[in-house]
Order: sequence, then C-alpha cells, then structure tokens
Amino acid sequence: MPMNAIARAGLISWGIGAQSFGAAVDAAAPEAAVRPLFAEHCTECHGAEKQKGGLRVDQLPAKFDDAQTAAHWLKIMERIEAGEMPPKDEPRPPAAAVKMVAGWIDANLLAADLARRGSEGRGRVRRLNRVEHEFTLHDLLGIDTPLKDLLPEDGTALGFDKVGGALDLSSVLMERYLQAAETALEAAMANEALPPMVKERYTYEGDGINPNIMRDVGAGPQFARVFFLSNENPPTHLRKFKAPVAGRYRFRVGAYAFQSEQPITFRVYTAELFRRDAESRLIGHFRAPPIVDGDFAPTEFAVRLDAGETIKFMPYDVGYDIYRIGAANYQGAGLAVQAVEIEGPVRETTQGRTSLFANLKVEQTQRADAGRNSRNAAPRFTVASKNPEADAERIVREFVPRAFRRAVSEEDIAPFLRLARDRIAAGASFDKALRIALKGVLCAPDFLLLDEQPGKLSDEAVASRLSYFLWSSCPDGELLRLAAEKKLSTPENLRAQVERMLKAPKAARFTKNFTGQWLNLRDIDATLPDKMLYPEFDEYLKASMLGETESFFDEVLRADHSVMSFIDSDFTFLNERLAKHYGIAGVSGPEFRKVSLAPGSQRGGVLAQAAVLKVTANGTTSSPVLRGKFVADKILGEPPPGPPTGVPAVEPDIRGAVTIREQLAKHREIGECASCHRKMDPLGFALECYDVIGGWRTFYRSLGEGSRVETRNRNQGVRYKHGPDVDAADAFADGRKFHDMDEFKKLLAANPDRIARCLTEKLVVYATGSGVSYADRRAVKDIVESVRGKNFGLRSLVHAIVESPLFLNK
Amino acid sequence: MKAQLTRRTFLKGSGTLLALPLLEAMLPRAGSAAAAPGKRRLVCIATGLGLHTPFLSPEQAGRDYTLTPYLEPFAHLRNEFTIFSGLSHPLVDGGHSSESSFLTGAAHPGAVSFRNTISLDQFAIEKLQPDTRVPFLTLSQGGLGLSWTRSGVRIPTEERASNLFAQLFLEGSESEKREQMQNIQDGRSIMDASLDRAKRLQNRVGPRDRETLDQYFTSVRDVERRLGAAEDWAKRPKPKVDYAPPKDPTVPSDFITRHKLLLDMVRLALQTDSTRFATVFFNGSSVAPPIEGVTSDWHNLSHHGRNPEKISQLKIIELTDLHLIADFLTALKDTKEEGETLLDRTTVLYGSNLGNASSHDTRNLPMMLFGGGFKHGQHLKFDPEKNPPLANLHVSILQHLGLEVDAFASGKGTLTGLSTV
Repeated sequence: MPMNAIARAGLISWGIGAQSFGAAVDAAAPEAAVRPLFAEHCTECHGAEKQKGGLRVDQLPAKFDDAQTAAHWLKIMERIEAGEMPPKDEPRPPAAAVKMVAGWIDANLLAADLARRGSEGRGRVRRLNRVEHEFTLHDLLGIDTPLKDLLPEDGTALGFDKVGGALDLSSVLMERYLQAAETALEAAMANEALPPMVKERYTYEGDGINPNIMRDVGAGPQFARVFFLSNENPPTHLRKFKAPVAGRYRFRVGAYAFQSEQPITFRVYTAELFRRDAESRLIGHFRAPPIVDGDFAPTEFAVRLDAGETIKFMPYDVGYDIYRIGAANYQGAGLAVQAVEIEGPVRETTQGRTSLFANLKVEQTQRADAGRNSRNAAPRFTVASKNPEADAERIVREFVPRAFRRAVSEEDIAPFLRLARDRIAAGASFDKALRIALKGVLCAPDFLLLDEQPGKLSDEAVASRLSYFLWSSCPDGELLRLAAEKKLSTPENLRAQVERMLKAPKAARFTKNFTGQWLNLRDIDATLPDKMLYPEFDEYLKASMLGETESFFDEVLRADHSVMSFIDSDFTFLNERLAKHYGIAGVSGPEFRKVSLAPGSQRGGVLAQAAVLKVTANGTTSSPVLRGKFVADKILGEPPPGPPTGVPAVEPDIRGAVTIREQLAKHREIGECASCHRKMDPLGFALECYDVIGGWRTFYRSLGEGSRVETRNRNQGVRYKHGPDVDAADAFADGRKFHDMDEFKKLLAANPDRIARCLTEKLVVYATGSGVSYADRRAVKDIVESVRGKNFGLRSLVHAIVESPLFLNK
Repeated sequence: MKAQLTRRTFLKGSGTLLALPLLEAMLPRAGSAAAAPGKRRLVCIATGLGLHTPFLSPEQAGRDYTLTPYLEPFAHLRNEFTIFSGLSHPLVDGGHSSESSFLTGAAHPGAVSFRNTISLDQFAIEKLQPDTRVPFLTLSQGGLGLSWTRSGVRIPTEERASNLFAQLFLEGSESEKREQMQNIQDGRSIMDASLDRAKRLQNRVGPRDRETLDQYFTSVRDVERRLGAAEDWAKRPKPKVDYAPPKDPTVPSDFITRHKLLLDMVRLALQTDSTRFATVFFNGSSVAPPIEGVTSDWHNLSHHGRNPEKISQLKIIELTDLHLIADFLTALKDTKEEGETLLDRTTVLYGSNLGNASSHDTRNLPMMLFGGGFKHGQHLKFDPEKNPPLANLHVSILQHLGLEVDAFASGKGTLTGLSTV
C-alpha cells in the first residue's frame, strides 16, 4: 500500500504542534535525553511490572520505520500532549519535558515517513476505476452506453475507489477491458449509423384497456386514457411506440390531473411490451397539473432506451379503493394521458468534436447466419473506407493523444498503426483493422493508468488530476490545450479552470461519486425497510432521499457555504415527498427546491438527512454503534478500530420489550469494549431520534409488545405498535452532555477545525488517490488555515486543495 | 474454450466480441495432467444471509443426532454429509463483508484497507491446473462471488444460466466459429501491442510504480496464455446434454429459480467434465420472492429481530434453498463415473459467512460438507468459543483433492474429527 501505515490505522491525531516539513531528527533531543523521562513518569504502569493497556514503554524500540511501533509512539505522543498521560493523580512532568518528548517522537515519525516515501511521491501510479473508465469512454467517443458493469468491482482504500494500492490490475480485468472497448466502439459506430431523428405523436386510443382500473375520456385531440391505480404494476405500456434502436429519446407527455383540482404525482418507467416481468427502470416522478381554463402544461423528459423498449405510466398515491368501485364510476383523482410526443433517437455529441468516423460510411449489418441464441441477431455495425490505410492512420493519430491525455510521439503511436497496417496487409477489412487498432489503444497502459512522474506534476498530469477529481473523466480540449502550452499550473489558471469545471454539467459526477462514498450513499439500496414496520417507505421516498443530500452538497459547493453546514444548516433541499416525510408543510411537486429551516429544526445538516440515516441502519433497526462509527469516521475523521474478534454483536430485538440502550449498556461495561464504545456509541445515540428511513421518532416501532398506534398509511391501519420510548440523550466521552440532536450538533460544531480537517482529508484522498500520511499533516493544516478566513467554504476548500503541494506533486 | 460464452454473454449490442473466458483461468502446463487421484471436483456454495442455525444444528454431537428441520431434506443422504457447528474464521468479522473471506479466511474483511487473499478453489486450481473446457465456474445469483485471485481481486461471476449453457453446450455456426477464432487472434495481437507499450513505460518509473506495471505485465501475459488455450478448445466439439436451453428469470425477485438453474448448470458441467471447480454464491435479495407464504424480502427477514412471524417466513425461503441443494446432491449421487458416484468424486462445501444474520455475527457458522469420499454421517460439534479455525476444513479439503499442503489461510492443519474413507 502506498499509504503510510499510520494513516491506514486511522490513528492520525491533529492536536499537536506540527513540525515543519523536512524537520531533521538531529534538531530534536537525542534519544538519550528522552529515555530517562519515560523511566521517571511512565514505566511504573508501562514497564516490566505492569503493562497497562498492553503497552510497555521501556522496551519500545526507536524503530519508527516499523508501522506497529510507530503507531505506539504516535499514541504516546497524543496522550502526553493532550495531558491524558500521566494520569491526573500522578505527578506532572514539567511542560518543557513534555514538549521535548513530543518533539522527539514527532521528528522521528516525520523523518521515517519521508524516508518511506522516498523519491517516489505520496501515491502510486493508479489505473482508472470503473466509474472513471466508463465516463472516459463516454466522453472520448460521445456515447452513453452503460459499460461500468462489464468490469469487476474496484478495490477501495480509505473509503474511496481512487487509491493506487487498492486498484489492482489482473487478467480478469484485462479481459474485461477488451470487452468494454469492443462494446464502446460498437456503440460509437451505432451512434454514427443512427436512423434519422423522427418526431411522432402517440395516444392510447384503441389500445386494449383494463376497465377495472382505467377509463377513456374525451374524443379527438381531447382523447385521454385515465389511470387510477397506483399501488400495483398495471399494464399501462404505451403500446404504439417501440424504440427502433438503442438511444436517447425526448418525451413530451400530455398528462393532467383528472377529477382533481390539485396536481397529482405520477411515475414513468421504461417498459417492454409482451414482457410484463421485464426489468423496468424508473425514469422519474413528475407532476400532472389540473386543467385550468382548458389548458395545462405537458411534462417533458429525455431518457435512454434500449431497442424495443417503450414507457409506461403510473399515478402515485391515488386510487386505493378503485377495485371496490370500478373505474367507470370512480370519483377520485387519476392520471389522464392525452398524446405522447416522442422525438428520437437523439444523436449524442462528441464533446463538440467531429466524430472519429466522420466522412466514413458506417452501416448496420445483420449477421448472415444468426445463431439460435437471439442475442446473436443483435445488429452490428461496419465502417468502410476507400483509403483504408490512410483513414486508419488519420483516425489513430487523432484518437491516441486524446485517449492518452497528452501529446504523443511517433513512438507512442507506432504499435497501433502497426496493428491496423498488419491487418490490412493480411487482407482484413478496414473495419476489422480499425477496430483492432482502437482496441489496442484502449487496452494500453497509457490509457488505463494515470501517468504521474515523481516530483512536481507536469501540466498534462495536472490536467488529468483535475478532470478525474471534478469530472471523473478525461481532460477536455481546453484543459489539454492549456497543458500543452504549459500554462495550466499557474494559480490563476487553476482557479479559472476549477471554476469552469465546477460550472459544467459534468461536475455532477463529482457530487455523485464523492458523496456516494464519503456519506456511503452508494449503499442506499443495500436494505429494503421492513414493510410492516415502515409501510410509508416507497420508491419515491428513496429517490427523494438521494436528491436531498446531493442537492444539498451541490448547493454548499456552489455557494461556498461553510463545511460546517454539513453539521448544521438553516436550509435543506426538499420535494413534496420528502417534506411530507419530514412533516414540513408548504412543499409541493417532485422537483427539489431550497427550503429554509426554522432554528432548532430537526433537519439541519447531513446527519439529519434521510439518505444518511437510511444507509447507517438496516431495514429493521438502527444501531447507535454503527451510526456512531459513521460519525467518528466520516465527520470527525477518526474511524474507530474494529471490534475485538470473538465479541458477538448485539442481537437486534424488535419484539418491543427491550431498547437498544438497555442492550448496549452491558456492552459498554465490558472492559475491553468500553474504551471505544464510550467514544463511539454517544455519537450514534444522538441519532436514535431518527428511524431507519430517517423519519423523526419518539418511540420505537414494535412488532410484538406495545400499544396500538392510530396512524393510517395509504388508507390502511399500520401493523406496528408503540414500543419503548426513544432516549437520544447521552454524553461525549469527555463528559459533555447533550439531551437531543440539537444540543449534540452544537457540541460537534464547537470544533470546526476538526470537521474541516476531516473533510479536507477525505477530499485529498479523493483528489490525489493517496492517504494523508504523517508528513502530509502540515500541508493539510495549511489548506484548512487558508479557508478559515472564508468561513471554511467548501468551494474555497476545493480551490485550496487544487492549489496545494499535495495536489500539484505526485 | 469459452468462446461461446463470451460471445453470447457480452454481445448485447455488439457484434464481434473477443472470445475470452470470463473466468480467471489457469492454463494447463506440460506435465500437470492428472495431478489429483482420479477426477476430483470441488464445489463451494455459500448463502450470504446466513441460515437460521436453531433450525439447522442438531443438539447431539456424533453419529446419532436427531435430524433438525433444516436437515430433513438431506435425510436420504445422511451418510453422505457431515454437519458442523461452532466453526468460524478467526479474525473474520465485519458483518456482510465477511462473505469476502468465506473461502479465503483473510482477517477483518470490513476494515477500510482490507486486502483479500486467494480463495480455496483458486488455490487448488493454481496447483492442479485442470485441463477442462472451462478451468472453473464462478457463479452468483446476481452480483459478487466467492472466488478471489492470489492478488486479492474478486473474480466476476456469471449469473445467467442461459449464458453458461451456451458457453458449455451450444455449438456456434460455422461463421461464428470463424469469427471467434479471428477474435482470439486479434486479442493476442492487441496484448502484444500492450506489452510493447508497457515495456516503454517501465524504464521511467520507480520501484513502487513498477509494481503496478508488473501487475499489468502479468495480466497481459495471463490473457495471452488463456487465449492460447481458448484457441485449442475452440477446435473441439462441445458435449451434448439432455437439457433444454434454460431461460433466465427476468424478475430479480425470483432468485429461487436462479438458484435452481445455476445448480443445474454446475451439475451438467460436472457430469460432462467441462469443469471440475465451481463456486456459487446466493447473494440474497431485497425484494419479496414469489413464494407462497412469504411477504417480505429475504434480507429483511434475515434481520428478524427475533420476531416469530419473520422467522417463520425466513424458514420457508431457507428450506426452499435447502431442497434445491439436496436435489443437486441427489443428482450427483445418481451419476456414475468409472464405477464411482459423481458425489464421491465431488466435495461440496455448503454454508454461510454469517452465523447469525440478524446480528451480523460471524461465529458459529452454518457449515456442511458433502461427498468427496470423506467419512460422513456425523455432527462435528465444536465449542464456538474455542473452535479450530474453519480454514482447517479447507486444508482437509485441499489434501483430499491431492494437494500436499498442511496450511491454508489461518488453517494450520486438518480439521479434527474429519477423516477420509
């Protein structure tokens, strides 16, 4: 692993007066001066007789290059500097002595870390992860075909899929790169051979109807089909349309709220005809307005469909009693769909470039003898040329520098030209020859690995760092041009480029991939909440959860709000569904908007957001231990060590007789558990006032004992019962007490440096692909200092990281 | 070899995929044939959401235990299996992440910077180098699998029975075969070019970055070797089986059908000696399955919180799976090969990485061993507080496959009480 072992162990402490970079060991006191102080103050408890906490100091060697030993020394330094050691009832060593010992340890740790790093830089050359690989191919080839799942999952370290040592290469991966390259090239050709875009209107008129749950109304242009049922999977496919080829299609749907003066929400899914069990993908939730003065605004969206797919509609949260009444006489609200206007397939643009295959003829060819497996009948594409050798060379020359993200030499290009020429010489078609050359480029180490040379990074390497940081993809033309002119690394240009990049739509990938891992949002589907305990949970709520946290992060980044907003904020982003979940009035419609929160609101900061609360719980119960660990790692930057092996986890109990606090109490009494759980559990107990889907709770829901609950959900009584009351009060390990979430957040916010450092560290790992080691502390500290005057603004922090030596050096 | 599979698997939307095995393969090397006595096979099946052990583990140790509800499906195989209790991998914790260590035994799979080690099946394959159409199968219900390479990379899985069937048993058309051969040769040329590029880069990097490039070299060379073997097997006809080409269930909730089809494919592959190694992972599911009497999803039910209603639904799902396993074993037992039953030649390890899924406990794992010529018929009961490492069982299995090893992962010897016939 490239990371310093200390960073890996999560033991970095920030409370120390850091020595400057490169402090020489001999500037510190010699070992001979330090050892007697240990004998005087420490060895009584940490010596030959006793080894409290498993530590023996008198025999701890000054071997700072050994990770285990270094971790011990670091711990010693932290404890004596914090005044925790020697214990309060023991005689205190003079301040100068503490300083000398701490200085000696610090200098040695620093020297050892710098020595370990040597001349090779902080990180290790890494390959693209699969998310970056997909976006890179998308941006290079102007396609949007899914590719990520063709590759095996990536290894992660320090919480991100960005770290060199964890991103292994293997033959398994190599084979998949070949396949992904083939799929991507095929898609690029398909894109070239797209049939012309057509615009067509479709209606449901004359299509088979299920009269129990649907009704036709109006005639002529006013004809509409009304769908009433929302809680099943009705066959509401738009049957007259079928995507002729895979591609992006634009929709304009004449949907209005029927028998309702209020708008109603509806969902749209992809669907396949005659395959009712086919996997449907949610396109989104939309709002159908009521007709006012004979008019309403249609709903518009665009979506990628596979060949043969259509869409289907479902109203949301209406029609629960439709079966009892029947659609003909039903008086309740429904979703009316008039005409659906569809335009497509929309041609993808290649980042404003001309396509690789411009001026050449790309044709769809059908396999002559498609095998018995229908997949073999899938269309494939062929590109043809009248001057095969010249065209192949031109395309390869154009493609290689973009794929390699740098200016290239003849030598760089030679093997790929050779691949094409050899094939042509052997009588292969232009298509075959070109494909093999381009696949060669996409399997080359220059494409797959991010080339960074030790020392100050070249402008080209900086361009790649920037683009993989903020766009999860390769640099665009402007970045490459600035790099080629060697103008990129000036502070002004870096600043201007970061601004430009953050304003581009591609910056959404940063939000998605960073929050997906920092806040574990990628785990949103890991559990499905129990239907009996959480009947109000639905797909709309889940999608809205992600929407909130991502929009919130975007806004903090856009407006340069303080990173302390992640602890508490006077705003969040809500749509109707989430506002209902939070009990906040006055928000209607599925789109997210910024909503002000009253002082003391239950919903300020990310720890109060449903997405975070869901990913830190299973679908049935929440555990203060796991949530506490999340806060310690993600917010405070001090991940607790794993549990000692052999200690069973607390077994959740939803029978209503015992609370998690009572169960954990025992846990916190066990000697070896207590030391960590005293620190970790309180962080999680504060969040007990939120249930597993982020709802506010004052009591635990029970499926066993407990009194009846009157709440109704979707026209039905709930099956859960009123279990024991929630008690979210606790105290930090240092004794500071809190009664509720609000007080807890205030205590967390009391140490903004710690919060800012934690986020800086996470961003540094994400941006540079390597951990913050002991020797990097100073640079991190400088970054944090530089944004203090800007109220620790997130956008300022991103700029500061990009301009720091950590980012600009390997 | 796997030309058909790869083609059919990855062809959605693309015409000429390079015909490559999707599996980490080891190629036969000279002199490695028939390293093991007879054609010994290994199948490892794990279920990621535990098995409710109160329904599984018998009270009594030894041979005279009373069948538990979960052992009922195996009543007719009583002398063909050993049931274990109390076993666990030392230092393997981390809840669901422990599935990574099920066959590797690597410590602390949930840790932030966890690096895995080689899995039991891959370890055996490295040594035995089986010369079969596919060196091994790594299958899953959908998602991650159980097999890991020596460098700690998780091997992607095949989840579609239809693809497996096409790969192993469907003969392509003449033009498909020609194209496949061409693709293999193209692949080799591309790998050559890649090596060429990597050599140029190698000169200008430091030792740590050279490690990365070395990994690149090794990967490319492995792929080249594999393509060579693929070329060989592509020339030989595929075996014929009496089985209609399977159709994969399209809804994710129908994992039971997926499990059944995967087990069918493993059985067919073993019966035709198309492979001798398979790992199968039943990942679990977060959608309620179409099974009578089950209204909640599997993952949810596994977090039963001791609620009796949830436990009874969980039991329905788990018993359904256990019956599938029993059917699979029965079919192996009914297949004869050179005078032995296929079950006698196939060691089947079945269990879970979770001892109690409700609390994510990784101790006292549900664990069973079938066939393979071991002396079966007993309940080997260990004290969960002082049990030998589970990897001792892995050592026993490796030795029985004919490998001269006395350690694997945390296993430092064979498992006490388990002997061969």
